[in-house]
Amino acid sequence: MIDRRLVFNLDWVFLGAVLLLAGIGVATIGSATQSGRLSGLYLKQIYIIGLGLLAMLVSLVIDYRRLADRAIVIYVASVLVLLYVLRFSPLIAGTRRWILVGSFQLQPSEFVKLAAALFVAKVFAESRHETIGLRDIAGPGAAVGFLAFLIARGPDLGTAACLAPLFLSVAFLAGLRMRAVAILLVVMLLVAGFACLKDYQKTRIYTFLDPSLDPQGAGYQKIQSQIAVGSGGLLGRGYKQGSQAQLGYLPARHTDFIFSVLAEEMGFLGVVTVLALYLLVIWRMLETALLARDRVGAFLAAAIAATFTFQVVYNMAMVAGLVPVKGLPLPLMSYGGSSILSSLLAVGLILNVRMRRFAN
Amino acid sequence: MRIYEDLRVVQTRLGVLQSVAVGLLALLGIQFWNLQVVRGKYFKLLADNNRSRSVALAAPRGALLDRGGRVLVENRPSFNVLLTPEHADDLDAEVARLARTLEIGEAQIRERVARRALFRPVVVKTDATIAEVAALEARRLELPAVSVEVVPLRSYPLAAAAAHALGRVGEISDRQLQLPEFEGLGPGALVGQAGLESQYNRNLMGTDGYRRVIVNSRGLEVNEAQRRAPVDGPALTLTLDSRLQAAMDRAFAGRAGSAVALDPETGEILAMTSTPAYDPNEFTTGIEPAVWARLTSNPGTPLMNRVIQGTYAPGSTFKIVMATAGLEERVITPETTFYCPGYLSVYNTVFRCAKASGHGVMDVHHAIAQSCNVFFYNVGIRLEISRIAAYAKRLGLGAVTGIDLPHEVSGLIPSPEWKMRVLKTPWYGGETVSVAIGQGQVSATPLQMARVAAAIANGGKLVRPHLVKSVGGEAQSIDAPRDLGLKPETLAIVKSGMKAVVAEGTGWRARLPGVEVAGKTGSAQVVAKSRLEKTPTATAIIPHGWFVAFAPADHPRIALAVLVEHAGSGGEGAAPVAHDILAAFFGLGGEAPGAPGVTDTEAE
Repeated sequence: MIDRRLVFNLDWVFLGAVLLLAGIGVATIGSATQSGRLSGLYLKQIYIIGLGLLAMLVSLVIDYRRLADRAIVIYVASVLVLLYVLRFSPLIAGTRRWILVGSFQLQPSEFVKLAAALFVAKVFAESRHETIGLRDIAGPGAAVGFLAFLIARGPDLGTAACLAPLFLSVAFLAGLRMRAVAILLVVMLLVAGFACLKDYQKTRIYTFLDPSLDPQGAGYQKIQSQIAVGSGGLLGRGYKQGSQAQLGYLPARHTDFIFSVLAEEMGFLGVVTVLALYLLVIWRMLETALLARDRVGAFLAAAIAATFTFQVVYNMAMVAGLVPVKGLPLPLMSYGGSSILSSLLAVGLILNVRMRRFAN
Repeated sequence: MRIYEDLRVVQTRLGVLQSVAVGLLALLGIQFWNLQVVRGKYFKLLADNNRSRSVALAAPRGALLDRGGRVLVENRPSFNVLLTPEHADDLDAEVARLARTLEIGEAQIRERVARRALFRPVVVKTDATIAEVAALEARRLELPAVSVEVVPLRSYPLAAAAAHALGRVGEISDRQLQLPEFEGLGPGALVGQAGLESQYNRNLMGTDGYRRVIVNSRGLEVNEAQRRAPVDGPALTLTLDSRLQAAMDRAFAGRAGSAVALDPETGEILAMTSTPAYDPNEFTTGIEPAVWARLTSNPGTPLMNRVIQGTYAPGSTFKIVMATAGLEERVITPETTFYCPGYLSVYNTVFRCAKASGHGVMDVHHAIAQSCNVFFYNVGIRLEISRIAAYAKRLGLGAVTGIDLPHEVSGLIPSPEWKMRVLKTPWYGGETVSVAIGQGQVSATPLQMARVAAAIANGGKLVRPHLVKSVGGEAQSIDAPRDLGLKPETLAIVKSGMKAVVAEGTGWRARLPGVEVAGKTGSAQVVAKSRLEKTPTATAIIPHGWFVAFAPADHPRIALAVLVEHAGSGGEGAAPVAHDILAAFFGLGGEAPGAPGVTDTEAE
């Protein structure tokens, strides 16, 4: 059971920053969906955050080491669920990535990221070598690659791509030789390139390079997002006053492009505030890895930090028009039950590692 | 006590990861600074362009009224059926329903939808009937994407009457879009394409207004930000008299030709007809290609305004110019006589008079009345070409009259210099003899000849013909008639000759009861006389008939030129038309006058 001492070790600053970001997310969703069939969506987001916090608190009870001990079982279960999704789940918007739980749509790939973090942390923690080479990581790499492959079959390239920084950063911490790190980085960048892209995704990349080729199609999102962000200026156009968001020019404005809405309405000051909060969250995650009492804890925290950072950076870079548009939500702020639940569970795992840093 | 694991490598490398994270977020911060602060103004502009759209509010074109205020051209409300595809729940089904309701082809609607600019409604049907609009209203719920807008449509209640003077409107052409006079207009704008509609286009158009509206990403209007009301185009009051115009149109009775009547004192044009004509109403909603092809391929050239664009040899009507020049230059006096044996042999050529037996002894009065060629051959030889040309030009021939209509042509008064320059051959004396009776290279428009008649009528002043009295109630300033400095005796003799033409000469068919008419007949040779003798029956080589006149002869209120194509002689073909026009002007019955016991033999 939970020790009373542990409660005092809870990282309140970290949790506070997380809740603040989620709150800003709710407010922005409220602005992005104030009219039309989506109005009232922010209430649903609040319920989900409540549910997520509850799940997070429950998960704190279980020592992360006991979870890591079952990493293999969790891994196998993840593979089975992903196979089930690919085979049986309904086709929604041309993709298979959801399972229906009651009236909720759950996206298993969001939770598989956590399973992968546990698995990678466990496998590398077992290794007792000072340094490791490519041969040592081939096995776990194949296992994680298989997960990524199943997710990418969805197709859900964004989420699949999250597994790359997760694996790479843990392998790096586990003492992977620098030459191997360099090779891996290059290979991953190439793979991220063209190997497994669908045609519409290739189009997205072409139009990313020259948006004027297709102003109403794939490049449209990038242009409209840049206009929204840029027109926000220093101080923003005011809450619920952004013309890009309110008149419907921004695509997916309550989900993947929520940060465009914030940038338009709150300006550069709002952007910097949120960036600072994310930096605080990421910093505390990595600090947790630094403070962790064992390799499993350090690797778990680092894996989660890497995935989280990748998602935040990619989403914001996408909003700013720096990288091609991919269906990748902004953790803690984008509307979406699976994303919020998975992010809060990740937060729970970080707290779990941190509060047990002195425990036996 | 537990033995802690060795985490030193992990900790060192975590430092690297921390730096990477901080670095990435810092880069993002720089990019947002660049987008929002450095380039913020630019993106703000793009956002404003995104959301606001300017919608033009077309100003109704000004009306055209006749001199009595009767409507010649106006705007009538018409219904356009619009389809806004963004509003449709099921576009295919809606297009099918709409096609059935309006009884037009589904493919036609689809084609227009495919060609439209994004987010703009498509005009599915212009000028829909009340019944069609009612049918659409009844199915309103089934047709959410369909709307009806009321637009002013140009309407010509008199149809083809005075069509060439009034002109027509049509969509601006690509070439016109490049011209400075159409600056500020976009594709689709309705502009004057002929006649007064074209000449006074800028006045008639008024000033368009606009609305700035806020639209959402589907292009649907959310609200209105700004509005400037259009300023209607002012009405033009014309010099035309619609009743005289109707009489003039009737007088032609389907024959090809043209006529123009003007006030000899002011140059105000009272009526103007060119036939065959066309109905300008056919152009207002975009002319059907078949109708356009019919109009442009018609050998009768219905789009041409013969009054100002038709050039014809003036024939014997040119004797007015010759008589004036001869008397002014004193090569003849009223008492001078020449003997007409029916021909004149000069420059190794035999020049014939139309009366083969000859007119006998002729003075200028009788030479005009009987239209004796031999008399004017002699006058021409004595004047020589340079003085003939000088007087012709003084009387306004060979140059545009300056009427307020586009594309007027100047006709031609030949001279030795002109011939050398254009044809590169020297002038022959024999040509002067032909020119003396208005044949050869001489050509003039009916409007020019009407102005010559007006100059004799008004005591030797050259008027500026014009069609517009006032624009929006403001009188147009017109150049005052120019005094030609002709001697009153000259004018009196020419006038008395012209009176005799109608009273006892070749123009008797234009005689009116109670109103003395002065006139001159003429016929314009179409081809060389030798060919006419070979095939005299073919219409194409029958000469055009001229009649120029003014009345009442002593206090003229109207001057007139009539040209009937392929009418044969002016006395037979054109004088009766002039008679009907003058009868209508003076409010007289239309009976044709009885023959005065003189022959129809003319030498025109």
